[in-house]
Amino acid sequence: MSVETHRENTEIEQDVPVTERKQPNDDESEQLVGKELVVGYPNAEEPVIDDESIVVPEGDVTALIGPNGSGKSTLLKGIARQISLESGTVLLNGRDAHELDSKEFARKFGLLSQENMSPGSLSVEDLVYHGRYPHRGFFESVTQADQEAVDRAISLAGVDHLRDRDVGSLSGGQKQLVWIAMVLAQETEILLLDEPTTFLDIHHQLEVMEIVEALRDHSDVTVVLVLHDIEQAARYADYLLALNEGSIHARGRPAEVVTEALLEEVFGIEARVKENDGIRITPVSPLHDDSIEASRQRALRR
Amino acid sequence: MTETGTDRSSRSAERSPGSSSTDASAGRRRNEPSLIDGKLLSLCLGSSIIVAISGLVQVRYGAYSMTFGQAIRAVFDTTVLLDPRWLLNFFVGEDLMRFLTGYQGELPELSTETLIVWNLRLPRVLVAIFVGMNLAVSGAIFQAVTRNELASPFILGVSSGAGLMILLVLTVFSGLTTVLPLVASAGGAVAFLLVYVIAWKNGTSPIRLVLAGVIVGTVFGSLQTAMFFFADDIGIVQEAIAWTSGSLTGVDWQQVRMVLPWTVVAMGLAIISSRQLNVLLLGEQTASSLGMSVERVRFALSGVAVLAAAASIAVAGIVGFVGLIVPHMVRNIVGSDYKRLIIGCLFVGPALMVAADVGARLALNPVQIPVGIVTGLIGGPYFLYLMRKKEQLGEI
Repeated sequence: MSVETHRENTEIEQDVPVTERKQPNDDESEQLVGKELVVGYPNAEEPVIDDESIVVPEGDVTALIGPNGSGKSTLLKGIARQISLESGTVLLNGRDAHELDSKEFARKFGLLSQENMSPGSLSVEDLVYHGRYPHRGFFESVTQADQEAVDRAISLAGVDHLRDRDVGSLSGGQKQLVWIAMVLAQETEILLLDEPTTFLDIHHQLEVMEIVEALRDHSDVTVVLVLHDIEQAARYADYLLALNEGSIHARGRPAEVVTEALLEEVFGIEARVKENDGIRITPVSPLHDDSIEASRQRALRR
Repeated sequence: MTETGTDRSSRSAERSPGSSSTDASAGRRRNEPSLIDGKLLSLCLGSSIIVAISGLVQVRYGAYSMTFGQAIRAVFDTTVLLDPRWLLNFFVGEDLMRFLTGYQGELPELSTETLIVWNLRLPRVLVAIFVGMNLAVSGAIFQAVTRNELASPFILGVSSGAGLMILLVLTVFSGLTTVLPLVASAGGAVAFLLVYVIAWKNGTSPIRLVLAGVIVGTVFGSLQTAMFFFADDIGIVQEAIAWTSGSLTGVDWQQVRMVLPWTVVAMGLAIISSRQLNVLLLGEQTASSLGMSVERVRFALSGVAVLAAAASIAVAGIVGFVGLIVPHMVRNIVGSDYKRLIIGCLFVGPALMVAADVGARLALNPVQIPVGIVTGLIGGPYFLYLMRKKEQLGEI
């Protein structure tokens, strides 16, 4: 199949390729590909994600953005095998990744979930050691490789000073860094982060994004993350996927995807987008029916 | 590196009961959560002392009175301890002893004290030790599986299944009385499977398992009460109560032989599964993203816990509270790491059980009360104390 014919197949108007090599024309040679994914919850009738295909650029940072309920987390969980796919395949280096046994899968894909719980009296170091679970057999004890991976993960996440603290005694932001360290200790090719910055203070948001930046610039790890903050996504990601109501509305480099038109169509806001030293978004107002404004005025007059 | 991180967050240290243990481990580099831990060590030591003292009291008092000196001499009588034939005779039974040693003659004669202590009183202490271990570890496992600190060995229907079978055997199928312990354990295991089937809907979850346990427990409990209603003989009712509240009255070496192998298997499995239990505590999502087959592991671990609970039911009936409070006490002292927790349970469970059994046998001498009544009397106030002292109780 040639590049040209495939381009004609793309129905979505803003579906712009990053570069020629990122075209989903040859799934076998790509590292991570989602083909015709249908993802939904067992009890719901309609799938959340209905027949979407993605190609994730290798070694880069890909951000999924979109309004609440647009299906970004669902898509990520579908890839991570947390929700079973209703149909479609996730290919890792040309092989169906969901055919792997669970431990092998966990050696390839690391996932940071939105909600994490830990027993109060568990030390940070012990928690990070749990990241080695997929690398250890039932009876195997800790190896040199495990120790090194844990040390690396702790340094990379910048939580050396918390090493001997109990996880239960940490602040929300510190906990998030520690959980990231645990996922890093898994030493996977693919790292999936589900809203890693949501609910964090600005300092810890930047701490988290600094880790992502370090992975982007100094490692081969392919990162896919869900972000709420569009500016943040534009700043740290190489590639964006904008979802709306379960379908991919736009994909491409941040400068190509983050436009005033997209913000209007996908996020339902009027906003100004400026590009100087990064993309700046100035939200103006939410877009909705005039009737809402009218009834609000009436309510205030009462 | 600055110290900002540590300072900034000290305010949020309200939760963990074991947070003080971090200072002890600071500066120490290790590759595995260490077992050589002062708190765990003193816990095990203290528990062993309680077992020893209670055990000694238990073997001293009774219809044949002796002094503590006599009791100690009888327990450590070298005619038994240094003679494998006598030991095998007790622990595996006479037939197997003769088969193993090929010895056909009479065993060396024992003094009256030794005979009474070894033959009649010591097996009760040993059974109490094994039952305490089984219940404590079983409770600890169920607390991890359901992620609920208030779970007990009997939370997933085991006690109601066993109780119902006990009542059925005593009132309806009296022909099965000789195999009552086995029938009771089997009833517990079947009820557990039933709970699992009810809870299953695209997999299980801790909350659905607990709810299914409540459902099965309620229905079986009602049936059990109905059986009591139809039992016309007060003797049968008393026997049923002894079984359903747990009692060690009249246990001998046969019960030791019955419970010992299962205890060894269940405790061994529990210790080697401790890492799985630790990962399970991180929640289903994290556990599965780390590559654990959560459903399989959860079922297997529940199976180990049911095995331990069933083994203790077979020899002592349904002893309440031990499986609930022991893991709790141990967790308060050694923290939530399951390797340490299970090892702690192996010592504290027996301590509680042996001590409670001394009360059960001697408090209202000569009347013996079911040991489950004593553990309930200890367990209730302990929980009241916990409830008053701790803000958060429930989630591990």
